[in-house]
Amino acid sequence: MTYQAKGLQAWLYQRLTGAFMALYILYFLWVIFSTERMSYALWLEWFSHPLMNTATGLFIIHLAVHAWVGMRDIVLDYVSYDALRLMMLACISFFLIIISLGMLRILFSLALII
Amino acid sequence: MPQSQHTGASQRPKNLNLLSVKFPISAIMSVGHRAAGILLFLSLPYFLYLLQLSLTNEIGFALAKAELQGPIAKTFGLIIIWGLAHHLFAGIRYFLLDFDIGIDKAPAQKSALVVMVAAFLVFVFFSFYLLWL
Repeated sequence: MTYQAKGLQAWLYQRLTGAFMALYILYFLWVIFSTERMSYALWLEWFSHPLMNTATGLFIIHLAVHAWVGMRDIVLDYVSYDALRLMMLACISFFLIIISLGMLRILFSLALII
Repeated sequence: MPQSQHTGASQRPKNLNLLSVKFPISAIMSVGHRAAGILLFLSLPYFLYLLQLSLTNEIGFALAKAELQGPIAKTFGLIIIWGLAHHLFAGIRYFLLDFDIGIDKAPAQKSALVVMVAAFLVFVFFSFYLLWL
């Protein structure tokens, strides 16, 4: 996309990732509350299922993109000092990369068990 | 300090004096949406920790479960639940606005109020739910 359309791209990412995450969260809550007694075996089985494992992996990636666009917007709106802005954006991206890699690592380790 | 050309900062409007601006309900809801977003962002390490702990083994799962029953976890949990509900409802509202649904001034103000009240009701519901759990 051109530089002028960058904002549109971010807007579109925000909506698409938001829609996916909304569906995932509603499904997640439905599973949690419809399960009479959540046990370790059920919990493990649920996250290990290929479909759920993939969906959760996608959720984490969507979350990272969504949080990046949102936090970037906030920093661009309220932090006008160049150095501070750059530092905060760097910290946010570093934070999100570490968190999502950590979560994906857990999911991958489950996928390898089966 | 000079404003950056690379981050597009110079093309954006300058900060306003917040006291000179009126805050309609939709603006308050929007601030709540942002605040909730930051809250959820900051709570991510805790979710990573819980995911790791609960999936390690049987004992880890029991530990994670026990930890969620504690008073501090419940308090923070409730704030996160409010944040998630507010962020989700406000997000759905923005989604509908993007499709020009409820885009007029009056219904937009009304739906902003609905978002705030609905998120608060979720908070109240889970407060009672967690108290009796």
